[in-house]
Amino acid sequence: MSSTKSSAASPVKQAFQIYAQQAEKLPPCQAQCANSGDIRGWLGIIAQHEKVGLTLDEAYDKAWEKLTELNPLPATIGRICPHPCEDRCARRDKDGAVSVNALERFLGDWAISRSLPLPLAKMSSGQEAESIGVIGSGPASLSFAYQMARRGYPVTMYEKHHLPGGMLRHAIPDYRLPREILDAEIERLLNLRISLVRNVEIGHDIVFDELRDRHSLLFLGLGAQAASELGIPGEKGPGVISGIAYLRQRKQRIALQTGKTVAVVGGGNTAIDAARSARREGAQVLLLYRRSEEQMPAVAQEVEDAKTEGVRFRFLVSPTRIVRDGDAIRHIELQKMQLGEADEQGRRRPIPVIGQTQKLPVDMVIVAVSQAPDWHGIEPMHDGYRWLRTEDDGKLEDNIWAGGDDRGPGIASKAIAQGRLAAEAAHAELRGEPHPGELPARKAVRAGAVKSDYYRDQQRGCRERRPEGEWLSQPELEIDRTISSEQARQEAARCMSCGLCFDCQQCFMYCNAGGFARIAEPGPGNYFTLELDVCEGCSKCIEVCPCGYLEARDSSV
Amino acid sequence: MANLGKQYQNGEVIVRQGDAGKCMFVIQNGEVEAVAERNGREFRLRKMGPNDFFGEMALFEHETRTATVRALCPTHVLTIDKKNFLGGIHEDPSLAFRIVQTMSHRIRDLTDRLAKYEEDSQQN
Amino acid sequence: MKMAEKLQQLGERVPKRQQSLPKTLQDGSRIAVIGAGPAGSMFSYFVINMAEAMGLDVAVEMFEPRHFCHRGPAGCNHCGGIVSESLVQRLATEGIMLPDDVVQRGIESYTLHMDVGDVEIATPLMEKRIAAVYRGNGPRNSEPLDTCSFDRYLLELAQQKGATVVHRLVTDVHREDDHMCVHCADQYSQNYDLVVLATGVNSRLMETLESQTQEFQRPGRTKTFICEFLLGRKVIRETFGPSMHVFLLDIPRLEFAALIPKGDYVTLCLLGDDINDELMERFFNSPEVRNCFPGGTIPAQACHCYPRINIKAARPAYGDRLVFIGDSGATRLFKDGIGAAYRTAKAAAKTVVFHGVSAENFKAHYAPLCRAINNDNQMGKVVFGFGSLVQKSRFARRGILRMTANEQNQSDRPKRMSGVLWDLFSGSAPYTDVFLRTLHPAYLGSLFWNLLAGNLPAGMIRNGHGRSEERNHVEH
Repeated sequence: MSSTKSSAASPVKQAFQIYAQQAEKLPPCQAQCANSGDIRGWLGIIAQHEKVGLTLDEAYDKAWEKLTELNPLPATIGRICPHPCEDRCARRDKDGAVSVNALERFLGDWAISRSLPLPLAKMSSGQEAESIGVIGSGPASLSFAYQMARRGYPVTMYEKHHLPGGMLRHAIPDYRLPREILDAEIERLLNLRISLVRNVEIGHDIVFDELRDRHSLLFLGLGAQAASELGIPGEKGPGVISGIAYLRQRKQRIALQTGKTVAVVGGGNTAIDAARSARREGAQVLLLYRRSEEQMPAVAQEVEDAKTEGVRFRFLVSPTRIVRDGDAIRHIELQKMQLGEADEQGRRRPIPVIGQTQKLPVDMVIVAVSQAPDWHGIEPMHDGYRWLRTEDDGKLEDNIWAGGDDRGPGIASKAIAQGRLAAEAAHAELRGEPHPGELPARKAVRAGAVKSDYYRDQQRGCRERRPEGEWLSQPELEIDRTISSEQARQEAARCMSCGLCFDCQQCFMYCNAGGFARIAEPGPGNYFTLELDVCEGCSKCIEVCPCGYLEARDSSV
Repeated sequence: MANLGKQYQNGEVIVRQGDAGKCMFVIQNGEVEAVAERNGREFRLRKMGPNDFFGEMALFEHETRTATVRALCPTHVLTIDKKNFLGGIHEDPSLAFRIVQTMSHRIRDLTDRLAKYEEDSQQN
Repeated sequence: MKMAEKLQQLGERVPKRQQSLPKTLQDGSRIAVIGAGPAGSMFSYFVINMAEAMGLDVAVEMFEPRHFCHRGPAGCNHCGGIVSESLVQRLATEGIMLPDDVVQRGIESYTLHMDVGDVEIATPLMEKRIAAVYRGNGPRNSEPLDTCSFDRYLLELAQQKGATVVHRLVTDVHREDDHMCVHCADQYSQNYDLVVLATGVNSRLMETLESQTQEFQRPGRTKTFICEFLLGRKVIRETFGPSMHVFLLDIPRLEFAALIPKGDYVTLCLLGDDINDELMERFFNSPEVRNCFPGGTIPAQACHCYPRINIKAARPAYGDRLVFIGDSGATRLFKDGIGAAYRTAKAAAKTVVFHGVSAENFKAHYAPLCRAINNDNQMGKVVFGFGSLVQKSRFARRGILRMTANEQNQSDRPKRMSGVLWDLFSGSAPYTDVFLRTLHPAYLGSLFWNLLAGNLPAGMIRNGHGRSEERNHVEH
């Protein structure tokens, strides 16, 4: 049968043959993930553990190893990431996206509770000679340091403060990210031949050029530590504080002063965190935002939680003046705004409604409008722009790389991605290997190729939360809980494995020609071989394949 | 157009009382009436619709049709051969179950009607 | 029982329990039906029906990962899609009516195409009693019409009766102590009091079971070809009519070829011994086939597959708490496989409800039907063997054409050849009946005369032969 196909197939017959082939595709979760995490990969290890002969515990260990190849801080990111991966999950419209974030957090906690060591890179050739310096210890720096250390480089990390972690440490309140979790993940990371130099401020304790001389390669993970001001009369003086300064002071429990009635200005996550923190200090909190609620950049769930905690919101108002009585703030004057034309990013610009102002009596103002890098000590690298301007992979100039918020604001996952990509590129450059960015991109899963009706209905597992009544009464306790091992198993099993075989066995069972054969030692995503010569071109396997792994060969149709 | 069986128009006779019969019929769609003729007068015995059957007595005995069956609207009727039916019963007697069940219903119905008739005639 | 011992080897464990469970259905018994094709659905339907009549409450779970709502091969069970005259009648007697959206076309005649001419054989009653159906939800990429898959319709009937559908792919069935264990691709596994295997021969499950033991042998299979041509309702009505077009061509290994009109499509079905490219090439290039299509050109196929069909029976088709029905158990050679699915499904349902679920019960009450079907298939091989002889002989084809045409033209004549061909094509009579009819002296006499007459030079004999060498369709 097979021999005649290529040689003498008649036009009548050839016209409609659709030969199949196996092709792994890029799943939507990974395409959406800021760090391009192989979510399907680590979920698959859990979901398919029995098929590949792993116990559930072994599967969790292996899944964590896979996850940490790209992200060394899953317990942390699993708590704070706004999980864009879930937005395009193929399951979303069926019975809810897979709770990727809850699973990531589960694996992170799993590894901490079992003291699993971070996996050393398989590609490491052993000990590399080049000394690597990293400025800052936020997520970008930690990610870069991790990727270099696991490739065998000695890494020295310079941190201005005593404790490492950057914004993760200073800006995220305990009720969202307990410090013990962050401590555990950073400690484990530092165990990989990374020496942390604490309390060193560039430009004060050491000059930048000295670091350049000391290390073969430098990474700048400066973050965006300088808070912007509103630039309105009355802003200078006591009672006005930036969002990040307030959050840092509160976390460090130093010199914290919270008013009775606090206005928080801004609509981002820092503003929300500051508002909720102020509520925990017993203040009445009013959050002021100059656009409408839909346009708030803060994560919707955080906004909801803030409302639950009693934070009041006033939209479409812009502060124009802070009026003081001596040093004390008497009130803040607000200009009513309305939405005008869309700006270049498509967001409607707020414009003042002439004549409509109001006074709001407050005794403290927290300004959380935006942040920028603090160039102090790094002046040689500052070209006058607001952000560092690097190449796509983070290269700034020879032997200097950068990542994180110093290249522009973003979520922590993006900072981790930038640190990782910079490390991959820097490593390739140091070793004289081809640039990793030149690898061929995978095809995305075709719309409609994932047949969601094949998958059994199972509602998205909701993460449990502490009762709302306890949120403010036990202000530092984490609100969300980690899912159980059983919940994690069930939730991982909901993954549809878009674009990669998960052993549903339909192609094997239904191929009339028997073209599929079992692989003797299967692994996640790898269960069958397809003998192309046997294929009869009926396309049944392509149509039954629920995950879109099987596709038509280019030569057919 | 995809109907099975044979189509009859409104008022068309499907079986005629007194004719010889060798098959029964199953209504695919539409509606029919069974009427008995006596002394030039017609009595409606019953109306039947989809999935109902009639003419089943011919499968079991060699008598003529006891009633006339007419379509009341455009109706598709499927014919069941005696040969196919009896062959089927030979292999699988349970095939007759539904027919026996229906005939039982009809006897019950007739008994009721007979009793009512007797009652009415006594009162008169 | 020897069969039972053999089938115990299907499982790894040997029964250990001293007191074994009764091998009859009880209230709460669980039945797993593997595969929701016609056999599986009809079994579920009948077993619930009969159990209810007996006042027995059983749970029937049908394992079928596919939804018969996909168009194209994914939601299809691959066959020509003919519900035979006898099955249409039996289903109607059972109270199962095929609705309009299931019946893509009612067939009321066969048109026989040969190199020596065409002849149309009409049903004796001039009534549409053969249903052309889609096994799936229509060909690949077909427009969403108001069509319903035959298999889906039966599945819904079973569901309405109370069977539940489990959308899981069964990968293994084995015996464990006093029950059968069903294992699925997603690691689900469950115990049942009875497993009914109705996977057909186009699934790998039979192969898996066969590989586990030397004693079980799955049915022998051969490759067939089915495809769909999109021509549109109007063209199909005008070109093919409510007639199934069959071909008697001199192509080796081709036992049966038919074009079946359905809605907007016409289905081609090639049966024989391992249909391959070379055979298909010859078929498509023959003028008798080309001439069936408008303009003599065969359009591009919309959907095709190479389903396997049974040519050799499974052995054995049952064991303790295990029975194989439909194609997995016993089916008719080439014809009326759905009819065989109905018969085996019902026989199995009766056995389990009224007798029990042991190998002995199946041997006594189920095996005879399988044996009868298999024996009739032996006769079928003889009949198709004759068919092959006719295919090879132009002389014989002329005789058959003449005899059939004469019978069709004269309504009062006994339809001996027409009847034989009708039963053969429609699959509505056992092959043994067909064979016996050909031994009738009147048939043989008439055939002999027609062989002679059909092969004499034209003009010497007046009547008959009216449709030869030209196309002639009766419009209804």
